[in-house]
Amino acid sequence: MTPASPERREQLKAAMLRLSKGDRDALEVVYRLTSVKLFGICLRILGDRKEAEDALQDVYITLWRNAARYDAKRASPIAWLATFARNRAVDRLRTGKVRRGAVPVEAAAELPDGDPSADDLLIDAERAARVHACLDTLDEPQRGAIRTAFLEGRTYAELAEHNNVPLGTMKSWIRRGLLKLRTCMEGGE
Amino acid sequence: MSTPGHDMPELSGDDLLAAEYAMGLLEGEDLLAVRGRMAREPAFAGLVAQWEPRLAPLLDEPARAAPSPEVWSRIAGELEERDEAPSPVVLLQRRVAVWQRIAAGSAVAAVAAVALLFVPLGNTPAPDPATDAPPLVASIPIADTPLRIGVTFLPEREELLVAADGLTADGVHDHELWLMPPGEGAQPQSLGVVAPGTQERVSLDPSLAGAMRQGAQILLSQEPLGGAPDKSAPGPVVAQGTLAKT
Repeated sequence: MTPASPERREQLKAAMLRLSKGDRDALEVVYRLTSVKLFGICLRILGDRKEAEDALQDVYITLWRNAARYDAKRASPIAWLATFARNRAVDRLRTGKVRRGAVPVEAAAELPDGDPSADDLLIDAERAARVHACLDTLDEPQRGAIRTAFLEGRTYAELAEHNNVPLGTMKSWIRRGLLKLRTCMEGGE
Repeated sequence: MSTPGHDMPELSGDDLLAAEYAMGLLEGEDLLAVRGRMAREPAFAGLVAQWEPRLAPLLDEPARAAPSPEVWSRIAGELEERDEAPSPVVLLQRRVAVWQRIAAGSAVAAVAAVALLFVPLGNTPAPDPATDAPPLVASIPIADTPLRIGVTFLPEREELLVAADGLTADGVHDHELWLMPPGEGAQPQSLGVVAPGTQERVSLDPSLAGAMRQGAQILLSQEPLGGAPDKSAPGPVVAQGTLAKT
């Protein structure tokens, strides 16, 4: 993984601050800095380029409309934006209009050479390391279920079917996993 | 596949619900009920706000992908077309203190406000399970507070549920709800004055009920005590939401 670029992080912070004050040009800066990451997140959930592009459009339009509610002092704008995009994409999935396709991750991952947006903006590195370390303490079915649920926006029922286990078993896996995750994260918070 | 440790402890109670909500695992009635709690209970919203950053680092994992260049053009075009400044609500938030701050501790209020930024709009109290037609809901965030007014329309009963509990009156203004049907030239129609601190069930006129449809805007205006003197013209609009199926 590329280390998070402090410079890009600062650029994003400054752009989000301008955005929160109603500067429309700042939205384009935010888009250039973050769209590749947010599109990857939407694509993983929606599994379809067109749907993911519609979701991405919705994310930035909504961001603009609600810009003043953004707290510009927030520590990690990219974490906030990633969560926001993820939640909007899951909403889209749940409205039932989206037919989830196979996830063409490889096909989508190609980026033009020299595209500055190819630099990674990573979510708070310290906490990221912590959450991954904590996930590693989970037993496999729990860890996999939590990752899939979160990154692909799956429901309990879908996860149970996919893993071929009863619904109650899947719920238990995730609930145990979440408890362990919380306990482990609290140890480092 | 083996099931590890049947006797292992599980997350439970409100913290479980908050985590399930943050994970996006809830559906249907469960989701609706939790959204209602998000709107009404800052402490619960605070639990969700704790889960969001715990999970966010996982979002570094999906492979980066470049959207087609048209996406930015579409975004710019959409803003241009409507010549959009940030919504009037957003601008007003900076100037108008709409509701008195709730009595909740400021730290709790702060995390709850953070949580709201992550919450998809649409938080409402759970609908009456006796109704068959899908309810329409609108969630109206109140500026600078973790509060929302939840508006749920039950088509079969032609009733409106308005959840304004947690709000307190300022003694100087009343606030009134308005329906703004979609389409050009639509006129706002009063849905009545909001009673702070209550959950109310209001019967709607059939003509008004007929105009409650997906996409209609629900506006909240600031009025003199007693409500708008002229029922064809709302006072300053201080918040708004959109009716949508849940």
